[in-house]
Amino acid sequence: MTEQRELLPIATGRQTVAALRALLRPRRWLAAAGLLVLTAATGIGLAVAPLLGHVVDLVTTGAPASAITTPVVALAVVAVLSGAATAWGLTLIARLGEGALAELRERFLNRALRLPLGQVERAGSGDLTSRAGNDLNAVASVVRSGLPELARSLLAIFLTLAGLAVLDWRFMAAALLAAPVQLYTVWWYGGRALPLYARQRVAVGAQQQQLLETIGGAPTVRALRRREQHLGLVTGRSQDAVDLTMRGVNLVTRFYARLNLAEFIGLSAVLATGFLLVRSGEVSIGAATAAALYFHNLFTPVNIALGLIDDVQSATAALVRIVGVADLPEPAAPPAPRTPADASLHADAVSHSYTADRPVLHEVTIAVPAGQRVALVGASGAGKSTLAGLVAGVHEPTSGSIRVGGVGIGDLDPAGRRAVALITQEVYVFAGTLAEDLRLARPDATDDELTAALEQVGAAEWAAALPEGLTTVVGEGGHRLTAAQAQQLALARLVLADPAVAVLDEATAEAGSAGARVLEASVVAALRGRTGLLVAHRLTQAALADRVVVLDEGRIVESGSHDELRETPDGRYAELWRAWSGRRDADRTA
Amino acid sequence: MPQFTSGRVLRDALRGQAGRITGSALLSTGHQAGEAMVPVVIGLVVDRAVGTGSSSELLAWLAVLGAVFVTLSFSFRFGARLGERAAEQAGHLLRVRLTDRVLDAHGGADTGRLPGTLASVATSDAGRVGMVALALPLGIAGILGLVVGAVALLRVSLPLGLLVLLGTPLMMGLAHLLGRPLQRRSEVEQDRIAHTAGLAADMVGGLRVLKGIGAERAAAERYRLSSRAALTATVHAARAKSWHDGTLLAVNGLFLAIVALVGGRLAADGDISVGALIAAVGMAQYLIGPLSMLVWVNGELAQGRGSAVRIAEVLSSPPAVGGGAPLPGPVTGRLTVRGLTHGGLRDLDLDVPAGQLVGVVAADPAHAEALVDLLGREREPDSGAITLDGHDLSTLDPEAVRGALLVAAHDADLFEGTLRDNVLSPAADALPLPQQRTGDTTAPPSPTSSPEQPPTAASNTSPAAELLATALAASGADEVAATLPGGVDGVLAERGRSLSGGQRQRVALARALAADAPVLVLHEPTTAVDAVTELRIVHGVRRLREGRTTIVITTSPALLAAADTVHFVADGALTASGTHEQLVREHTGYRTTVLA
Repeated sequence: MTEQRELLPIATGRQTVAALRALLRPRRWLAAAGLLVLTAATGIGLAVAPLLGHVVDLVTTGAPASAITTPVVALAVVAVLSGAATAWGLTLIARLGEGALAELRERFLNRALRLPLGQVERAGSGDLTSRAGNDLNAVASVVRSGLPELARSLLAIFLTLAGLAVLDWRFMAAALLAAPVQLYTVWWYGGRALPLYARQRVAVGAQQQQLLETIGGAPTVRALRRREQHLGLVTGRSQDAVDLTMRGVNLVTRFYARLNLAEFIGLSAVLATGFLLVRSGEVSIGAATAAALYFHNLFTPVNIALGLIDDVQSATAALVRIVGVADLPEPAAPPAPRTPADASLHADAVSHSYTADRPVLHEVTIAVPAGQRVALVGASGAGKSTLAGLVAGVHEPTSGSIRVGGVGIGDLDPAGRRAVALITQEVYVFAGTLAEDLRLARPDATDDELTAALEQVGAAEWAAALPEGLTTVVGEGGHRLTAAQAQQLALARLVLADPAVAVLDEATAEAGSAGARVLEASVVAALRGRTGLLVAHRLTQAALADRVVVLDEGRIVESGSHDELRETPDGRYAELWRAWSGRRDADRTA
Repeated sequence: MPQFTSGRVLRDALRGQAGRITGSALLSTGHQAGEAMVPVVIGLVVDRAVGTGSSSELLAWLAVLGAVFVTLSFSFRFGARLGERAAEQAGHLLRVRLTDRVLDAHGGADTGRLPGTLASVATSDAGRVGMVALALPLGIAGILGLVVGAVALLRVSLPLGLLVLLGTPLMMGLAHLLGRPLQRRSEVEQDRIAHTAGLAADMVGGLRVLKGIGAERAAAERYRLSSRAALTATVHAARAKSWHDGTLLAVNGLFLAIVALVGGRLAADGDISVGALIAAVGMAQYLIGPLSMLVWVNGELAQGRGSAVRIAEVLSSPPAVGGGAPLPGPVTGRLTVRGLTHGGLRDLDLDVPAGQLVGVVAADPAHAEALVDLLGREREPDSGAITLDGHDLSTLDPEAVRGALLVAAHDADLFEGTLRDNVLSPAADALPLPQQRTGDTTAPPSPTSSPEQPPTAASNTSPAAELLATALAASGADEVAATLPGGVDGVLAERGRSLSGGQRQRVALARALAADAPVLVLHEPTTAVDAVTELRIVHGVRRLREGRTTIVITTSPALLAAADTVHFVADGALTASGTHEQLVREHTGYRTTVLA
């Protein structure tokens, strides 16, 4: 399908700020307490330099050795207090950040899961996935490690400047001489780092993906003798990643070189100021020492705070993409939701086109009485999957109507039991236990009901043979299920969801022929008592249906029972069946 | 395959970067020394200038401070670059070497290892071994930094120097001990957090499936519960980490107080100068730097050794198949199988005459896969032999065998790139000129030479383009090209994931056909293809492979009906042979396997 890409929305600055406010408002007291405690912790810590300065003063004024004890005890008290207060403050900040983060990710996922599938597909599958993966992680890592570090560093910087000012305002003025260089450095670095790191992440991702593709496809590469080609691809992508990483390293080292210059300017200025102030008798040598130590202690927090700026920037870029989805307006519910009268399915004169100039379906009309099964047969591109998607409500037809039990698809009660379920050839096993996977379809199902559903689709045997039965962890990182098992799992979910109408789009296609036969039995079992619309790629499936509909280029060209169509002279279905069943009159071209 | 030990992997990686490592070690030492000198010079400025009021002393010592900054800044800048480059380059070379081993024609490196595991060896483990090239110079610099600090301190005052030198590691050990239970608790919590982090992506990945059965609410609720559990865990973990950090801060502060106490008393008694006191206090703070760096280096070295073990294992994997003799050409394509026993096959005999289209049906799909593996030289048979034109495959160079006998496995992968690059081998551009192929009447008149046909395939008449068009038409992949924006130059996503299963299968078939091998083995090539297209493919393959040996291992009746002969393998041995029609009529087992 050659549809136009249309990315999911990205929040504006104002929306993002509003969303952050909404997250922080219920936590404002926690925020205030956290900030207060951390400020206190940093403030207490600042007593260290003047206390050391006091020791210096005592020594230079020739005080007895015993006089040292008092400031030293104070130093010990300061150490314990600032340690405890820091721990407490960081805990409060973590509760604040983690709580807000949890609320944000829950709001995001809740909204993401209810996006119309058509919209997700138009955006490309990667858009939503990368927001749920990379973007959430980027924000989480800044909230988790960046935020507390940043808070501490900024507090340390501001309070140290204040401490310098308390010693003598001229010390602070001297220290601030470093600021222009630092600000310029941040501006210089920020403009270069973000695009470079974005490119580096892309290159590292491309390298990773190339390795997975080449190594995962090693048997194919060997069979086709494409070793040189793939070795070249891996080498090229790996070298690209290395080169971009090195450009990043060069940038960072230049960043720190500039900050070193700022350190030197500030430190010299503070020392020179101390020299002048001591000479004019305005401050003691101890105060000058304290000022120098203050400034020396600023090196680390300044480096941390400035180094975090690009993390914060990329987290912001991720945040606007998360808020963009989380804050989407809720879809309008049908004004008067209705419940289907029965399990019948009607498609009336349904036409559809994804793009205006390429209609895929033309005036297709199909009526499936409750409990019957209709198989759709036709070449790829005939419109089978489109029709299946329309019936399942994935897309809205361009014209015509689709009704289940007399109720239009759009008027079905969204809160009620799912009337139409769709299973495609896309197999997916959710990470978690087998039971958790099944309970997605019916959260309140008992273990017995789960086992019964598995039994109905012929999956009970292998499920029982799993290392820990229903509680075996499956999916990504867990026990690997075969394609056929995964599809049986999908059918068991269908049984549990228990919809009136089931649409199966080539639900046995990925399992290979041998697996397909087993799956066909599972499909029949899962459809028992339901109205079924099946896109069949194996004619044995079609043969089991009550009626077969042959589609060609978006139109119904044949419709009837398997036996009727099989006997139709020159019929399309009859030709397919001949080839399939191996009758000699299938036109051999040897 | 040569044997590799982890020691050799590490030595090779480091030796290749010896120059960079040496340079980085020297420069990093300069940086460490510079960092150590800063508090010392601050002390000297206070002592000699602030204390005395001498302007010339001030200027002189500020100039010294400037020189220290220049040294530390430049040596950091270039030392870090050399070290990082050494690490990155060493990792890169290992990555390429591992890939080369995995792709080796004799195979074996990917036997029993999941692709994800191998890829992680080639990324994380290669990176970790590379990191040793960065850690080593930093470790050397850290040790030298400690020595410089120690000498400076001991010259100032022996007791104070000893206190700082012995006390700093002691203090760090104490902080580590105090923090360890907290750290451990936080590691346990990490699992829960990682779980929730993956869950969102997992659910979004299965969005279509969730929506198909209306499970959005249940999924959102499941996520909310997991997210709440993770929240509790993260807050616990954060509290543990916060108290760990707080403890570290407190212990460090207490140690500083002790240094101040001892140093202050010494200074008050006139044993040391005020500058020495300041330097000692500064040094107590500075030493934490190189010491924690050494802890880090130690961790990196341990991880590097562990990674080197895993890399050595992969590099030393025994080859899956042997053989090295060249295949004498030209290949006629007569294939025989004698007494083949492997993976469920028992004494299998098959005869495939040159130039025929032969179907092989295995009642058990596992037996079909075993045969595919053996034909593709992915495994050696337990006993028995496959011969091509009378040459035992086991004695031949596997690369040469695959050139003559191409096995298109059912689960063959597509690769990221254009449709054209997927189908045509890089060697296709070097094909003979068109006139040498003019006798080629086997190319079918493309049934879809409608305006939908991408112009790039039709208008270009180079041999490569002709081969491409022919293969696409015969496999039904021309329809795939027609739906791709850009036609044959349209780009497929990684592993062809942008295509449906049926589309991928057709492109893989086109690729197998375009390789133009004297013998072609197709394993279940049409399972995900609709019946209409399958029939078209049957005709296409039959025409295109006319006169050349083709073996189709399948249970698809449409394909089998087109074969000259069909062999039925049940219980791992040849059970019946004949045409599809005969077997369907006469053999119950065959009928059940193929038509049920």
